[in-house]
Order: sequence, then C-alpha cells, then structure tokens
Amino acid sequence: MAFKKSNIPGEDIRLATEMTAKRRKLIDETPAAPLVYEYGVNRLAKDLHPGFVKAVIAEKTPCSADCWRIRLEPAAGEAFPYFRAGQFVTLSCRAGESFLSRPYSVISSPREALEGKLEIMVQRKGIFSTFLIDEAAAGTELIAGEPSGDFYFDSIRDRKHIVAIAGGSGVTPFLSMMKAIREGSEDFRLTLIYGARTRDHIPFDPEKFRGEGVEVIVVLSEEEAEGYRHGFITAGLLKEYIDCDTSVFMCGPDAMYRFVRGELESLGFDETKIRQERNSVGDREVSEIKAFRLIVHIRDAVYELEATNNETLITALERAGIPAVVRCRNGVCGFCHSRVVNGEYFIAKENDFRRSADKKFNYIHPCSTYPESDMEIDIPIMNP
Amino acid sequence: MDKYDVIVIGAGNGGLGAACRILNAGKTCLVCEKHNIPGGFATSFVRGRFEFEASLHEFNGIGTPEEPGSTRILFEQLGVADKIEWIQLKDAYHLISEAEGYDYVMPFGWEAFAKANNQLHPDGEKYINEFFALCQQIREAMAYIGETKGRPDPAVMMEKYPDYLACGSYSVNEAFEALGYPKEIVDNLNTYWCYLGADGNNLSFLHYANMIYSYFSKGAAIPKYRSHELSLAFEERIHELGGDIWFNSEVVKILTDEEGHVCGIRLKDGREIAARHVIANCSPHVVYGKLLDSEAVPERALKLTNFRKLAGRGFTVFLGISKSAEELGLKDHNYFVYDTTDNVKQYESMKKIGNTAAQATVCLNNADPDCSPEGTCIIYMTTLFTDDAWSSVDKEDYFKLKNKVAADMIERFEKATGTNIHDYIEEIAIATPETYARYCGHPQGTVYGYESQYYDGLMSRIQMVEEDRFVPGLRIGGGYGERLLGFPSSYKSGVNEAGRTLRDMEKEGR
Ligand SMILES: Cc1cc2nc3c(=O)[nH]c(=O)nc-3n(C[C@H](O)[C@H](O)[C@H](O)COP(=O)(O)OP(=O)(O)OC[C@H]3O[C@@H](n4cnc5c(N)ncnc54)[C@H](O)[C@@H]3O)c2cc1C
Ligand code: FES
Repeated sequence: MAFKKSNIPGEDIRLATEMTAKRRKLIDETPAAPLVYEYGVNRLAKDLHPGFVKAVIAEKTPCSADCWRIRLEPAAGEAFPYFRAGQFVTLSCRAGESFLSRPYSVISSPREALEGKLEIMVQRKGIFSTFLIDEAAAGTELIAGEPSGDFYFDSIRDRKHIVAIAGGSGVTPFLSMMKAIREGSEDFRLTLIYGARTRDHIPFDPEKFRGEGVEVIVVLSEEEAEGYRHGFITAGLLKEYIDCDTSVFMCGPDAMYRFVRGELESLGFDETKIRQERNSVGDREVSEIKAFRLIVHIRDAVYELEATNNETLITALERAGIPAVVRCRNGVCGFCHSRVVNGEYFIAKENDFRRSADKKFNYIHPCSTYPESDMEIDIPIMNP
Repeated sequence: MDKYDVIVIGAGNGGLGAACRILNAGKTCLVCEKHNIPGGFATSFVRGRFEFEASLHEFNGIGTPEEPGSTRILFEQLGVADKIEWIQLKDAYHLISEAEGYDYVMPFGWEAFAKANNQLHPDGEKYINEFFALCQQIREAMAYIGETKGRPDPAVMMEKYPDYLACGSYSVNEAFEALGYPKEIVDNLNTYWCYLGADGNNLSFLHYANMIYSYFSKGAAIPKYRSHELSLAFEERIHELGGDIWFNSEVVKILTDEEGHVCGIRLKDGREIAARHVIANCSPHVVYGKLLDSEAVPERALKLTNFRKLAGRGFTVFLGISKSAEELGLKDHNYFVYDTTDNVKQYESMKKIGNTAAQATVCLNNADPDCSPEGTCIIYMTTLFTDDAWSSVDKEDYFKLKNKVAADMIERFEKATGTNIHDYIEEIAIATPETYARYCGHPQGTVYGYESQYYDGLMSRIQMVEEDRFVPGLRIGGGYGERLLGFPSSYKSGVNEAGRTLRDMEKEGR
C-alpha cells in the first residue's frame, strides 16, 4: 500500500517535513501573556477543600448533663468551607505533653459554615473531649481539618426518606442534616429516632428541629413522659416509620448498631440500604501489656518512642507529642497512610480498610494498628 | 541546606519513573509529593466493601512475559517489573453508539480483530490488514527515529518508511478520508478516540494509529491490585535504590541562581532543599505560572505555554453495586457508550455540562472477578469535558450538579445496555474536574495534559523536545510531556526526561 492524500507529487511528504517549522512559527506568533495564577476549577476545589484551617473557640455552651456545644470561628484570614451535612472535622491541638487530634461531626449547617460558624457537640468522654470541656476556653486556637467523611445523603445512592437512628452524641451529624433540610441546602426527608435514658440526657431540643421534611421521635428507656416514646428502638417502632422508599442512617454506640441491625433484619430490611458512622478505634484488650520500641521517620527526622500493644500507633505518637496526620481515626480514610519499614503489627479485620496493594507492600493506617513487636515506620508529615 | 543531585516534583507516573531512572544511574534523588500517597492519578480508594480504581481503564504496551510490550521492557529496566501482577484483558471493547445503532464487541489481536470487522463490512478484514500494515510501518519508523536519537537519515526514511512520511502531517479524519475505508470500518477504528480526548480533525493520525495498533496487537492489561500497586511498586523500588520520597510536601518554588540555573526548591512549609536539577511532574502552566519566579521565565516559555491547549477535564462516577455483574447482565470489561461515533460532534457537545455524549465505562469484575466481594461488582464511568464549564460553578450548587451529571451517565449506560444498576448502588463516589484539580493540582481539572493538536501532536513534540525547554537544570515530564497522556506515555516521558537530565549533568561535568 502507498499512503496518498494529495494529488500533487511530493506534497504529502512536504507537509510532514514542514510540521515543526509551522509549529515554531505558531509559537512565535502567540503572545507572551502572563499565565493565569489560579484557575476557576482550582479555586473552587480549594474553596471546597482548603486542607487545614486555623480556628478559634468562640463560645462554649452546656446542652445536657454531659454535653457541650462548642462554636468555632475561623482565625483571622481563614474561612470554613462549604460541606455536606453529616461530615466531621478533625480538631488538633497541643494538650500538655501530647499533640492530639479527634474527629467531631459538625452540627451546624453548610450555609452557616460560609458565615464563619462551625459548631460541634462534645460529650465528656476521653482525653481530648475532656480537654475541650475543662481546659479549652473562648480564644483557644485549634487546627481544624477540612470537613470529611461520606456519612451524608446522596441523591443517587439513597432513598428519598432517611430514617436516622441515633444515641448519645451520635445525634450530631443529624442535627446538621436537619438544619440543612430547613435551609434548603439538602433535599430529602428525615425521620430522626433518638434513643436516650431520660429527658436530661437529650442534648438538643427536638421541638426546634421538627418541621417540613423533618420528624423527630425520642425514645426514653428510663423515663415515661408525654410526647416521648418509651422503651427501645425496636422492630415494632421502626416499622411505623420505614416505608418502601427508606434508607437507614445510624450513628451511636456499637451496642446500638448491633441491636438495631438485628431489629431491621427481622423486618427484612435490605442491609445494603443501611449506613452507619464508624466509631474511633480505641484501646484493645490484651492478656499482657507489652511495651515496644517504635522508631518513626518523618521526612529526614527520626524519633524513638515507646508503644504498647494495647494502644494504636497513633496513640503512641500523640502521647509522645509527635504531630501525626490523622483524620477519621477509625482506619477508613487513609489519611494517616504509612510505610512499615519493619516490625509486626495487628489490625482487626473490621477496622482494616487499607487498599489491597497496601497489604501487599506493607503499608498501614497507624490509627487502626497495634504493635506486636518493636517497629520502624515512615509516616507523612503533618503540614497544616 | 540539604542537597540532592536531582529533585523530582510530584510522584505521579512520570515522577516515579524519573526518580527510578536517576537512582539507577547512582545519583541521589528526592521526590516531593503534595499528596499523602504516590501515583497521582494512578491510585485507588476504598469505600465500604469496595476498592475503586481511580483512573486506569486499561494499560496498553505491557504484552506478556513471553512477548513483552515496550512498557514491560521499560519496567524491567527500572527494576519494577517483578513487583507487579498483571491481569490480561480478554476483549478490546463493547461499542454502543446510538446514532448508528452500533452494538458489538471487538476482540484483541490483529487477526481476531480483522476478522471481527467482517461483521461490519464484507471486506472488513482486508481493510484492517491494510491499516495495520500501515500502523506497523509507523511503529517501525518511530522506533528508528528513537534509535537515531531524533536524527534519522532522510534517505533511509524515504526508502523504508515512505507511508510514515506521507501521512505524517495529517489528522485522523484527513488520513481516514485519504484511505477511503467504508464508514463502518472508520467508525470502529475511531472508537478509542476518547482515550486521547482530541477530536479527529486535530488528533494526529500517527499518534492515534500508533496507539490503537498497540492496543490491538499487544492487547491490554490491568494490575491485579489497581494502579496503586504500580505506584507502590515504584515507591518500593525508589527506597531500594536509596532514594527518598516525602509526602504532604508541596513544592511552592523552584529556585534559580544568578545565572538562571536551577539551584533548589522550596516546600510549602518554607523548607528549602538544594539541587542543581529538578524534574517537574506537573503542568508547565504551573511551573511557568507559579513555581518559577516570573523573572526566571523566558518569554518563549510563556509563548509556548499559551500556545498549548489544555486537554480533557475528567469526570468519573464510581459505583459499588450490590449485585454481581452476571446478575446485572454485564459481560464485558470495557464499554464505550456514544451518542454518535462522529467525534467532532461529540467533542463539541462535551464543552457544556448537561449532555454526556460519550462515556467509557468499566465493569472491573469482568476482568478480575475477585476485585469485590461475592455478589457485588464495581463499575466506573468516565467522561471528559472539553472546555471550562466547571470553572464557573457556585460552591452551593456544586454537589447537586455533580449528582445530576452522574445520574445522567448512569441512566444512559442503563439504557444502552438494558440493565438496572440504580437500584443496587451501595457505594458511590463522583470525581469532577474540581476533584482532579485538587488531587493533582493541574489547571482546570485537566487529566489528559495538553491536547493533541494539529501542530502540537506527538511527532512535533518529540522532534522539538530540546527546543521546548528553557530553564537550565529544569525538565518537565509526565502526562504533559512530549509523549502526551496515558499510563505508558507518562512513565516513558518521566524516564526520558531523567535520561536527558543525566546527560545535562554529564555535560556540566557533575
Ligand atoms: C479517570 C481517568 C481515567 C484514565 N484512564 C486511563 C487509561 O485507561 N489508560 C491510560 O493509559 N491512561 C488513562 N488515564 C490517564 C493517566 O492516568 C494519566 O495520563 C497519567 O496518570 C498521568 O501521569 P503523570 O505522570 O502526568 O502524573 P499525574 O498523575 O498528573 O501526577 C502528578 C503528581 O504531581 C503532584 N504534584 C503536582 N504539583 C506538585 C507540587 N507543586 N509539589 C509536589 N507535588 C506536586 C501531584 O500531587 C501528583 O501526584 C486516565 C486518567 C483519568 C483521570
Ligand atoms: S486517620 Fe483515617 S485512616 Fe487513619
């Protein structure tokens, strides 16, 4: 075969040999205008995902026997991004010798974030929450990670009616969702079923949230009161609210998840239509607490510290005051992705959300990993 | 100040390839990556029970251990080949195009593909054989030009590769017109256009012919553990060779000395590291527009950068489905769902948000049945936007808009394949141009580097590679490089720029 396009002999080849000269000429003729520094798409990406934001505590208000609401404001020159109702922020700061980071669901609405308001609810439980309640005060500076997580309504995946089941501080993501529905930034129907011991243990005012598209049912286990249901979140109760167009979202203690899942199963509810927010990976039970030597590389810096087999590696790092990158603290997000140089470790199957290649090449998420020998790891720098 | 022979900015395919090449030559090398994992687009992410591939649909140029393709050979040279497990794909694609009523599957392999074209046209096989013979000449010519380091003997070219020269200036559409094949055959051969994302009036025929020949003759593969496996294989190799990779380490400045030669970089946290040579795996738009001080950027660099056209901005819907591929009725790995095979029309309609005229969709379980738990499957659908429609989206509309586009793509796929996917979506993630912009930092969410344009195609870029660089000590490799986008090209470009950097170092006597 001979390729021929032009009828003029030699023309095809001539055109080909002239390509570079033509290109050179076209470049010559292009203006040397300055290049754009920030493009529209990149600007929106940055607005939505600013990375770390410096924030200050603006206000602390008690809202039940053991819960406080904490309102954050962006530090000067910073701004909170728009987000999806149901997401969490990870707050970090130095507390004594330690450098701590913990995730908290945002309870304010996406539009409020644009007005410089980000509110969380803190239950007196654990070291960082206790620090926030007892020691932090208006003016305390924190580093806030950008809102993250995929515990939010998705119009494609989810049914239009969400039955939200919550206990304790697990109501938090739903408070944001209810506000979002009211302000119109989210578009779905939400029925919140909230379990508490007594009225004193309810950290929000149900009456304030009821309205178009939002129903709130509070189930008290240790008290009977008018306007409240009594008992537990059972199949019988759930059946009243679940229809053929329902997805279930749950947020609360693991015991609640187990119980409610059993009840939903007895109703024949499609398991794939249940989403639950995951709780942090905590200490584990061991027959004998053992201490190991942990060598940590961050870029070209090397740290040596002690780590025990009942605590996650992140806990060891935090205790030693080493700023470690953390977001979800439950093994899911991969933000703390780190390389194992050597050493043995344990990850509970239910907390192992690593990529398959991470397992092959020996990478871990330190927030869900316990040491089982001396270890050497290489972790990414915390770079706010 | 710490010092390395070479600093690589970005641990995408190009950056990882470059670092391995530098280290293999015994030089010291630091890779600075702004993200917390390597790979750039070559990565994966986990949602619930599913691990999604972030980008790769198929990897051409791998071949088999017995008949290795050029990229496998490159991986062997770099010392990463043994670290990767490949899965060979069975068929090339399933094309569904509404306007022409096409709905067929095409196999890999020169012979099998040629035969399959008989179902489109009685002489299909003949045309394909002729076409592949032309492609083969193109490949051989390119190999020869490579061997002569870009200085081929004109007499040899005229004698051995006349067709290569004759079609050298033409676009895909011009060349197919000259070849005079029937519409059905041309339409079929045009199927892969969206892998390069430029319409047939602009896309260089040599480039396209070279790519599709690689697909059909050598087949394609995917790494067993998503492309994150590739990226970690490279990272492991870099550590083995004594190199360093720093994550969460964005480079904000490339530093130059009084002579205008590169002398180091500055990280976002202010730390400076010295190096006489930098290989950037990011966009020249970013390098000349942001990373270099404006005084260090020569006028011609601005002209060249302004001359170029940003290629497709990516959009992908990732679905974890609570039904198996078999239950859904999906048999193939790779689906192309088009409004029409007229890619000039498609390209035009992809400028706006609202009509996803073309999608490339993968059902991963049909290549790797173990990629998700039993009774489930993974589907991902990709399209491109060919203009900046996403740059004026308001943040409060953004989430709803992306779901609207995604819902439309799902519906189109369902309609085209006669399946119901929507009811079984257990996990969904949607990547928009914003997502890609955030992830890799490229302008406007471009995922395909610079578009293959009539006068900015593969051959002219390769020939002008030295002319297109301006700052001593600085080279740019990866998807924005001379070999354009794609997995094989981006690795190769990074390795090539590293090779050139090593030569630069030699010349400078270091
Ligand atoms: C959805 C999708 C599907 C695709 N499908 C295929 C396919 O099937 N087959 C195929 O061959 N190709 C495919 N591609 C194309 C392919 O993924 C890309 O061409 C290739 O990955 C580009 O590699 P790169 O070397 O240019 O690096 P990139 O992936 O662009 O990575 C650049 C890296 O540099 C880092 N970086 C940038 N700026 C800085 C800085 N200032 N400091 C530090 N780090 C920085 C970024 O974080 C990133 O990690 C697809 C792409 C997408 C998005
Ligand atoms: S912080 Fe999310 S996985 Fe460790």
